[in-house]
Amino acid sequence: MHITLRNVHPIYFSEDRSVKSNIWGQDMEIHPAEKIQIVAPSGSGKTSLIHFMYGIRREYNGSIAYNGNDIRRFSADELAKFRQQHLSIMFQDLRLFANQTVFQNIEVKRQLQPYHPADKISEFAERLGVRHKLEMLCSTCSYGEQQRIAIIRCLMQPFDVLLLDEPFSNLDEDNRKKAMDLMLEEAAKRNAAILLADLKQIEFFPADQIFHL
Amino acid sequence: MALRFKHIAPFLATNKNNWSRLLSYFGLGLGILLLLCSLQLLLNIQRLLGNENPRKGGYDYVSIAKDVTNATMGQVDKNLFNSEEIKKLSEQPYINAVSPLIANRFQVDLTAGNIIPFSTSLFVESVDDDFLDTLPPNFRWNEGQEFLPLIVSSDFLQMYNVFAPGYGLPQVSEETARKIRIFITCSGAGGIRQTFRGSIVAFSDRINSIIVPKQFLVWGNKTFANTTEVKAARLYVKLKDANNPVFLKFLDEHEYRINKDKVKFGRVKSILQVAITGLGAFGLLIVLLALMLFSFYLQLIIARSKESLLLLLTLGYSPGWLTKTVAGRWIPIYVVIVICALIATSALQWGFYWLTASLDVSISPYIHWSVALLALALVILTAFSNYRMIRKQVYAI
Repeated sequence: MHITLRNVHPIYFSEDRSVKSNIWGQDMEIHPAEKIQIVAPSGSGKTSLIHFMYGIRREYNGSIAYNGNDIRRFSADELAKFRQQHLSIMFQDLRLFANQTVFQNIEVKRQLQPYHPADKISEFAERLGVRHKLEMLCSTCSYGEQQRIAIIRCLMQPFDVLLLDEPFSNLDEDNRKKAMDLMLEEAAKRNAAILLADLKQIEFFPADQIFHL
Repeated sequence: MALRFKHIAPFLATNKNNWSRLLSYFGLGLGILLLLCSLQLLLNIQRLLGNENPRKGGYDYVSIAKDVTNATMGQVDKNLFNSEEIKKLSEQPYINAVSPLIANRFQVDLTAGNIIPFSTSLFVESVDDDFLDTLPPNFRWNEGQEFLPLIVSSDFLQMYNVFAPGYGLPQVSEETARKIRIFITCSGAGGIRQTFRGSIVAFSDRINSIIVPKQFLVWGNKTFANTTEVKAARLYVKLKDANNPVFLKFLDEHEYRINKDKVKFGRVKSILQVAITGLGAFGLLIVLLALMLFSFYLQLIIARSKESLLLLLTLGYSPGWLTKTVAGRWIPIYVVIVICALIATSALQWGFYWLTASLDVSISPYIHWSVALLALALVILTAFSNYRMIRKQVYAI
């Protein structure tokens, strides 16, 4: 999957933001299996960029295209199908069903377009240390546990591009590495690109390119 | 494994407002039952009252006349049918044919010779042959023919046999009456006078009159009264159903008179049809109210599940799939409700069949196919209206 960003600039940002940015107002290409890290402080538009690329926000000038198809031209149903098969995301705010169990939160994603069998959920949960939480309500989990649950969820589907928005903000060093290893393994299986946005550079993320917003 | 409603059911607030949901199910069932029963009753009544009317050759023949009122008394033109009125009547789609009963416009006297000392002034009429219930081959007359065949109402013979003994006259059978030679004397202006030898060639159960061949009356009116104008006091109408409410309404609107006994079933049918149509309209109203209530229930579910639905959409669930799946969730329930209403309608029809079994009418113990078709249409209507509502709500999230 080739991703092309052409002169993307949020409409709510002033034009002078483009001068200092590697992404806003610039052209950018992301190739299959490429690992891109975006480093930027709060308020610079990391989440905006991830949301633009996932197609849930459209307040920008320029274009974002997947294999030459502008994501803003997809109908609601086409976009849903595209997300099911090609695009996975981990949101900064996690977006879990608080009143459902951890297992249900992951399973609702897996059953949509099953890439793994259901027993992979337990295996991944074991690797990230949340196995004991699977039958508990999500609302009873700590934020760090929820972050790991959201990571497992985004790995349950097929994808060509994995979008990660500050995925380790509440994890300790050990859990960060475990989670990163799992995501790198899963992306490699799919020959997928990873686009990781964070406040600072993640040293154990083998980025091919680093961009500053 | 295909993705189904059960996979997303935990994320939707479908278990709330059970009373609202059950009430809408009950209302929907009740409304559909009323609608189906109304249609079946209408069909039963059509069949019951349609059969009560005596028919010959698949048609009803009724005579109509104008009401002579105090206002029209003495004004012959107003009490006779003119050719325009006859044309208008014959143009009605439910009327197959119209024939005026042409009356004599000249003096006619009858004597029965020496066998029965009987003499009277007489009226004769003629009608198209097609309207006669009995048409013997000798009921013909050509100019110059001395023999004049007559068809007489069998009621007249009965009336004669009732009063004859009181006047010392002999009672006569139909066979004897046919053998009696009678003499018909026609006279007109200018002293023209001609006597014909006649006899009764048939008795009619349909037409209350003395009928002569149409050729004779046309010739007689021209010869003795010097007129060819067709002005009839009575019209005979041939139609499929004399109880047709539209026909009765037409007669009422034009103040035409008809034998009320012949169409009393039509009047009853009209009243019953109005009553049952009212019942059907009430049923339809209940169906609409139930659909509205159910629609509110679904809107409430969607409103309460809005965050979950939004998240499902964000995760990659398509709005089209969500719409179809959520709307499809209730289709089996609609089907069950309609089947229950159909079973209840069938039970009522069975009861109706038993109640009418002694009336010698052929009512089916089973519901009519159109009732089942209506039930199917209601399932489709319900499913479609809810699908549209859910689609609108989901795509708006």
